[in-house]
Order: sequence, then C-alpha cells, then structure tokens
Amino acid sequence: MNSAATFPLHAPVLGRIPGNKAIWVGIYCEVTEFALMFLVYFIARAHHPVSFSGGHAQLSLLAGTAYTVALLSSGYCVARGLVAMRRARRQACLRWLAAAFVIGAIYPVVKFFEVRWNLANGLDGDAGVFFVTYYYLTFNHLVHVFWGLLGLLWVMVRTGAGSYTAEEHDGLEAFACYWHTTDIIWLMIFPLFYMLR
Amino acid sequence: MIETRKLDLAWITLVLLSIGSAGVGGTADPDLGVTAIIALVMGVKVRIVCTYFMELDTASRRIRRSMYAFCYGMPTVVVLTSVFGDVIARLTAVLM
Repeated sequence: MNSAATFPLHAPVLGRIPGNKAIWVGIYCEVTEFALMFLVYFIARAHHPVSFSGGHAQLSLLAGTAYTVALLSSGYCVARGLVAMRRARRQACLRWLAAAFVIGAIYPVVKFFEVRWNLANGLDGDAGVFFVTYYYLTFNHLVHVFWGLLGLLWVMVRTGAGSYTAEEHDGLEAFACYWHTTDIIWLMIFPLFYMLR
Repeated sequence: MIETRKLDLAWITLVLLSIGSAGVGGTADPDLGVTAIIALVMGVKVRIVCTYFMELDTASRRIRRSMYAFCYGMPTVVVLTSVFGDVIARLTAVLM
C-alpha cells in the first residue's frame, strides 16, 4: 500500500487565504519592494543599453544557474514537507524541511564565492550602472533569503515540537508561501542580469 | 495523479527549463526573439511555482489575480522595454 493511501491528504479548501493574512501583508510588501527595484532596473537599462548589454557576460552564468536550481529545489522540498504534514507524517515533513534548509543554504554560500570572484576581477559598485543595480537587487534578495532560512529553522523547530497537525498547520503554510515568493522573485532577477542583453 | 507526483514533475520541469534557458541566454545572439523566449520561459516557470508549489489555484480570487498580474506582468514588461527602450529613456530623461 502506498503512502498516499495510508495517509489521507487534508486537501486545501478552495478560495482560502494560504497560510494567514499576516504573511500576505509581508508578501505584498516584498513584491512591491522588488517591483519598484525592477522599475529602476528598466529605466537604468533604457538609459545605459551598452552597459547592460555587456554586463551579463562579466557575471558567472554557472553561479546564476546554481542559485536558481538551489532555490527551486529548496522550494520543492518545502512543498513536499507541506504535503507530508497534510498526511499527518510529521517526521517525513521534518526531513523535507531539513533538506530544504540544506539546499537553500547553498544560495548564500555560492553568493559568497561569486561576490569574492567579482571583486577580485574589479566588478564592484564602481564598475558601472549595471553592477550598481545588480548588487542592489541581488543583495536585497539575499536578505530575503536569509529571512527565509531563519523562518525555515523556526518552522522546523515548531514541526519537531509537534505544533502543527494535518488539520492545523497555517504557520508552516505561511512560511511556504513566503519561501516560494522569494523563489519567484529570483526567477525574475536571474534572466534580467545573467541572460538578457 | 497524486499530489507528490505533480510536485516531482513540476520540479523536474523547472530545473530543466532553468538549465535550458541558461543555455539559450548564454550562447544566443542578442535579438528580440531571444528576449521573447527568455521572457516566456520566465513566465512559465513562475506560473509553475504559483500553481504547484504555492497552490494559488485554491487561493482566494484576489490573491490569485494579484499574484498572477505580477507574474505575467514582469515578462511582458521585459519584452516591452526591449522594444521601446528609446521611448522609456526619453520619457524618463528628467530622472537621470
């Protein structure tokens, strides 16, 4: 018998607010913040097309792809953890969340090495308007990833303590919504700096 | 299809799209077609995350519509700013 049959899924109700209202206030703030920064990016790009068309070639596409795969994989683990919780499989949920943390932590590690490499090659904030917007946007995103990793630790503690159940796990779902929003923002940043010319 | 299988497929699709689009973006000559492909892949990936990871299809209409507006708006803006870069520069000249 498979796990899906053993543990009935407490499926989400249609028309609900995923997680809780508070996290959506935070998510809308995050989305608004990045929307404004994207606006600055597009205006800067329109005024300095040469700087932007050549900027991506100086960045590591491998690092950009590594961030993307790490964040998507971490988000996948969180989604699997949520499904496990809905099936009342607390230990499995905890393992998925731990995997999400380990994979998510790859992001700041790669960022450290990428920035070190950039600086060693003279690609700092004085290297032109492309790099000013690049550092501003990606460091802001890094801050959100750090908050997400701290939130992930918190929901792991709460899951381990048995605070969530198959029927009541709004806190875990709220964290998942935040983490996936951070994914979505990165999926937009990645092509803007690493691929578009 | 059970829930976990959908998530597995969504994750594999996202990873493959990310690696594939990085290949296109990293090697192709710059033109509007490549920009459109990159924007399209961005929109598809974001939609997959919203639908399968965030489960926005079960969320309230207001949340779903506002998030989709952001998610679809961004790739659209990417293409429009590539086409109308000169116009944007002219309209925003006072800011620079």
